[in-house]
Amino acid sequence: MSQLLQVSALQKNYGQHEVIKNISFELKKGTATALIGTNGAGKTTILSMLAGLLKPTSGQIQHEGIVGDPRAAIGFLPQYPQFNTWLTASEFLIMAAQLNGLPAKVAKDESEKLLQFVGLKDAANKKIGTFSGGMKQRLGLAQAIIHKPKLLLLDEPVSALDPAGRLDMMHLMKSLQKEMTILYSTHILNDAEQMTDQLLFLKDGHLVEQGSLQDVKAKYEHHQIVVEFKEKVEAARFVESSTLSAEQQGAVVTLQIATMQQVIQELAKGDFAIRKVEQQSASLEEIFMKVANG
Amino acid sequence: MMQWRVLLQKEWRDHVRNLKILWIPIVFVLYGIMQPVMFYYMEDIMKAVGNMPEGVDMGITDMTSADVMASTVGQFHLIVALIVILSFMGVISKERKNRTAALLYVRPISFSAYYLSKLSGATIVALLSTVLGLLASFYYTMILYDEMDVWKCAALIGTYSLWVLFVVTVTLTASAVFSTGVAGTLAFLLTYFMQLIDSIIGQFWTVSPWKLGTYAITWLVAEPDSSDFWLSVVVTVIAILLLVIIGIWGTRKNVENIKI
Repeated sequence: MSQLLQVSALQKNYGQHEVIKNISFELKKGTATALIGTNGAGKTTILSMLAGLLKPTSGQIQHEGIVGDPRAAIGFLPQYPQFNTWLTASEFLIMAAQLNGLPAKVAKDESEKLLQFVGLKDAANKKIGTFSGGMKQRLGLAQAIIHKPKLLLLDEPVSALDPAGRLDMMHLMKSLQKEMTILYSTHILNDAEQMTDQLLFLKDGHLVEQGSLQDVKAKYEHHQIVVEFKEKVEAARFVESSTLSAEQQGAVVTLQIATMQQVIQELAKGDFAIRKVEQQSASLEEIFMKVANG
Repeated sequence: MMQWRVLLQKEWRDHVRNLKILWIPIVFVLYGIMQPVMFYYMEDIMKAVGNMPEGVDMGITDMTSADVMASTVGQFHLIVALIVILSFMGVISKERKNRTAALLYVRPISFSAYYLSKLSGATIVALLSTVLGLLASFYYTMILYDEMDVWKCAALIGTYSLWVLFVVTVTLTASAVFSTGVAGTLAFLLTYFMQLIDSIIGQFWTVSPWKLGTYAITWLVAEPDSSDFWLSVVVTVIAILLLVIIGIWGTRKNVENIKI
């Protein structure tokens, strides 16, 4: 897969305060990358620099194969997109398309297609001031992709939405993944797990971890095995007799450093009454907590 | 050019849907009509109010149409600048503050197209209102008093329009560079305060944008001193061009101040 964006030693300072500290990463064409971090970690600042709204203090942002103004090849959806409320959805999209260089007729056709795509066809001629938060977010997505950008930047695209809205938005984003490279920030890790080729963990302006979802998971894997016994006494008997390091909570025993084979052997020795044996791998949330705590 | 046209269309929709295109001309027209009508009926009004000493002659009915128009333009001077500043001081700064500018600035737009579309939109509304207000004033003055030379009226409107364009440019440039509050204060100082200074010690110079109001009135009674008038026009045009350059620079510089 060829490269679309190369970020090298990116730094952003406000006076003496370093907000982004020497960050480097690359985005490959056609991939989805999740920028993960706590509030104030610097996610929005990075996206703003990539979108051209902020100038880096130092470092380089190289767009491969893009000639001229890189903003023409970028689509951007801020966390809380703000619109001119007296415009209709259709007028706003046509304006956005024309500002990206699309001729008037093409802009009109594309706006109609996209309003259908994001489920706002019936609200096309309504003023944006009357829209709900979810509708604004969907219109925000439409304006970000109307010019078919090579790189789509989404800042917390689902965090302000209710569960139904989140599902809708994730569905729309997934359908775009085939056509463009996506970089999105989030702190909702379930969503990141659903749509991610690469993870970038940000902490206090530092990029503390990066890699593919599989690589990062493998690195932080802890293979926890959980055994649920029929009764609490059975669990206690197992912990007492076992040579493995085990932790009991009621009828449930958690084994941190053990293989499934070792656990089965131990269980077979004592003829225990068990409900289930389960191998649990680290969730993205647990990995995030580990990375964030350091 | 296409970007300027698209952005101007947006500005136009703003002025139409927020009714600026309606209420600003209405205020100007009413203000333009008020002065000649008030002067004409002043004695009747005063008599109706009462408490006038016996035999008092206010001399208002002896005014010529040029006197009435001079007085109207003098009053207009205050209200035009005030309404223009209040209406347009947030045109650029508010878009930054409420973050609507973010969805424009992330596109490959030129900042000159953005600034000039704002300037064009505001200028259309301000000049349209000024011309309509002055025409209404001329119309009533000519009905109630005596005929006036059409060319002199046109010269007054032309000269005065340049002053209005100057006020609009000052206001928009201040809005491009500063926050709305600072922009309003600065525009107010650069128009009212400088006008005040010009009226107090302005006899020491004859060329400045703040003299345009005086020159506009002079057209009614005699032609203004040709060299001073044209030099003031040239200085005003140069000032407007400089303000445009500063405005475009300010718009670009303040992109970083949009907190998304």
